[in-house]
Amino acid sequence: MTFTANDFKNDLKPVWCPGCGDFAVLNAVHRALAAAGCAPHETILVSGIGCSSRLPGYVETYGFNSLHGRALPIATGAKLASPRMTVVAVGGDGDGLAIGGNHFLHAARRNVDIAYFMMDNEIYGLTKGQAGPTTPTGDRTKSTTYGNPDPSIDPCALAIAFGASWVARGFSGDVKGTTELMTRAIRHRGFAFLNILSPCVTWRGEEQHKELRAKTRAVPVDHDATNREAALRFTDEREHLTTGVLYDVMRPTLIEELAAIELRARGDGAPPTRDQFLRAFQPAR
Amino acid sequence: MQDFTFSIVGSGGDGAVVAGDLAAMACAAHGFHVIKTEAYGPQIRGGESSSTIRISTTPVAAQGDAIDALVVFRFADFARFGSEMTLSEHCVVLHEPDDAPPSELMTFRCIPIAFTQIAPKSKNLVALGVLAAMFGLPAENVRAAVRRRFAKKGATVVDANLRAFEQGMEWNAVTLAAPRDATSPRLLMSGNEASAFGALHAGCSFFAGYPITPSSEILHLLSEWLPRIGGTCLQTEDELAAIGAVVGASFSGAKAMTATSGPGLSLMSEMLGLSSIAEIPTVTINVQRGGPSTGIPTKSEQSDLFHAVYGGHGDMPRVVLAPTDVEDAFHTTVDAFNIAEEFQLPVIVLSDQLIAQRRETIDAASLVHEVVQRRIACDADGSYQRYAITGDGVSPMTVPGMPHGMYQTNGLEHDETGRPSSMFVTHERMNAKRYRKLEAIAQKYPLFERFGVRDPELGIVCWGSSAGPVREAVERMEGVAAFVPRILAPLPLDALNEFLRACARVLIIETSFAGQFHRYLRSLVDLPRDTRALSRSGGKALSVAEIIEAAAVQQEVTA
Repeated sequence: MTFTANDFKNDLKPVWCPGCGDFAVLNAVHRALAAAGCAPHETILVSGIGCSSRLPGYVETYGFNSLHGRALPIATGAKLASPRMTVVAVGGDGDGLAIGGNHFLHAARRNVDIAYFMMDNEIYGLTKGQAGPTTPTGDRTKSTTYGNPDPSIDPCALAIAFGASWVARGFSGDVKGTTELMTRAIRHRGFAFLNILSPCVTWRGEEQHKELRAKTRAVPVDHDATNREAALRFTDEREHLTTGVLYDVMRPTLIEELAAIELRARGDGAPPTRDQFLRAFQPAR
Repeated sequence: MQDFTFSIVGSGGDGAVVAGDLAAMACAAHGFHVIKTEAYGPQIRGGESSSTIRISTTPVAAQGDAIDALVVFRFADFARFGSEMTLSEHCVVLHEPDDAPPSELMTFRCIPIAFTQIAPKSKNLVALGVLAAMFGLPAENVRAAVRRRFAKKGATVVDANLRAFEQGMEWNAVTLAAPRDATSPRLLMSGNEASAFGALHAGCSFFAGYPITPSSEILHLLSEWLPRIGGTCLQTEDELAAIGAVVGASFSGAKAMTATSGPGLSLMSEMLGLSSIAEIPTVTINVQRGGPSTGIPTKSEQSDLFHAVYGGHGDMPRVVLAPTDVEDAFHTTVDAFNIAEEFQLPVIVLSDQLIAQRRETIDAASLVHEVVQRRIACDADGSYQRYAITGDGVSPMTVPGMPHGMYQTNGLEHDETGRPSSMFVTHERMNAKRYRKLEAIAQKYPLFERFGVRDPELGIVCWGSSAGPVREAVERMEGVAAFVPRILAPLPLDALNEFLRACARVLIIETSFAGQFHRYLRSLVDLPRDTRALSRSGGKALSVAEIIEAAAVQQEVTA
């Protein structure tokens, strides 16, 4: 049985501000889940906390709106306990790079079989306008009255450095392109990271959308996505923000590694009996 | 009755701990009752260590109060543990001839034995041989234990160790009477091992943990065991991720557990609140050590009680259990899964280092316990409500993959469907639903032990590992009984109040300087006017003598 984008929609009205980039992201999620061949009841959406982390509530699947920064550990546990399910983690830049940064590192390193969509608006929106890890240096925000002292980081650079096996950048202004990237991310075997530039009209102003649109450009057709150095070069541009698949390699996933471990532990035999486990505690006679 | 305790002290490479292991194993195989404890200095490898073994022909509940024989390879190492060791007045001290005992040991019978000269690489086995001859340890079982322990290192090593053991045996030592009346062989397990086996018994298929003393053995064992039964063991990047992965796995339908110690429990607080509000079953074993902060990682204390029963923000129903000994660590772990799965909330098991890392003999036949499964919603109904209001507060769960069971779960307050709600009426209704589960648990799981006389003059109330020495103290005194709750939240109030009504005087015993258990009891029950507490720091096990003395003082003062 196949499902359409409508099968993934529900009747809950998003809490987002009018004009928020996350509406387009939600639209793309509905389409991508259908395009990737997912079934609603065999899909789990996990999020942390933030404006964008409300997204699972607006998708008809199993959903988990969890704690600030902790979407990835929960998604990891959910995936390992039910490997048949499609597991997608979603959240914002503050959720994934600041409070949850350590989990981002380790989920990518382990190559957990999940897709991770980061809606990047360069600001903390839900708490009403403080600087985040992707806020440009010098920007004045509610928490950086005289300008942001910290350099911003590129989430894609981190993902590649951490060992993610699939890394891409999308722009919410391009729903079609974002849908395609999401579809590929969901289908990718291993940890797929998609950074989605998703403007915040309320705290970054109307201009952010236009600026981002002007800066984005598609990845060159001749880019070799298996080339790590080439991929990293697209995360170090000042003039442009390159969208598309930057990095795409195959390496053993966590599920595969654990299956191999199970085989090593178990051998050909049946699982040990209770008495066999207890034998280790029987003193030699 | 025959009952001996001996201790071996050395530094890295001396093999004190190995000798203790072998002795414990041999005595367990012979059918004696054994409790073995170890103590270490702060070094990661090497450094001083001590192994203390109590052997008895009848069941024992605590480590020995006083040591009957002490082997010291280097008195410099002994200095580290000396203040925590009580030697019996007839204690025999065995030491190297060129290492003179310190003056405080001069009153004991000190016997120089050239362990190193006899067998430079196996002096621990020489010592074990001497002890075996002294105490009449079952030599054939020691030999079997040696063969098994060193089998992987080859015949040469096995033979060298066996020879050293025989040389020790032949050494013309003072021979004391040997324990007799052995029965069938027993298992030799630590509390951490019993907890891990309890998890396996309960059907745990997912474990995530982060290494921390003194709980890591649970991670180690489940890393070995779970893949063999098709389960998953994940070492995570920190405790936040460990309990996070457990929550995720449980959401997906797995029976899931983590294990940690104080600092880890602190980090897990927020996620345990999520487990409570989202009503996702989790089991967290917290092996207590000295605190706060890094505290004393290698030694026991009962000072995480407040954190377990009260820790976390918001009104957060949770269940807290506490095992009283090694075997009980098995039962408590299975109970923890049963309660978590049936009532969909976080269950914290407060073990402690004394139970977790000592080895005790237990009867394999006692390791059985009923196992309860999660209430799963029927998948046929299209109008599924994950958080439907029910009489006992438990709403049947679905698991991902069930076509009609989809819902969104939430750390935000939510309505019956799981959708976020910030309305007062919803919050009040859902709080009431979640707290109702505790009433049902209190009815179904009033877990406690009560021992001693029926109508006590003095009633002792304690918990966790304190129960061991209290049990022996109660046996030696007249007119005393003890009440030990094995479930701390919700407390078995009916049984506890009935016990307290029977006692004119009460003595509370715990290893918490701040008296957390005493304060906790005061907040929940009416204690008699004549209530006193022995609340002192952990870092040293409670002794039977200490408890008897406290009981005597309490009786004298109030008589």
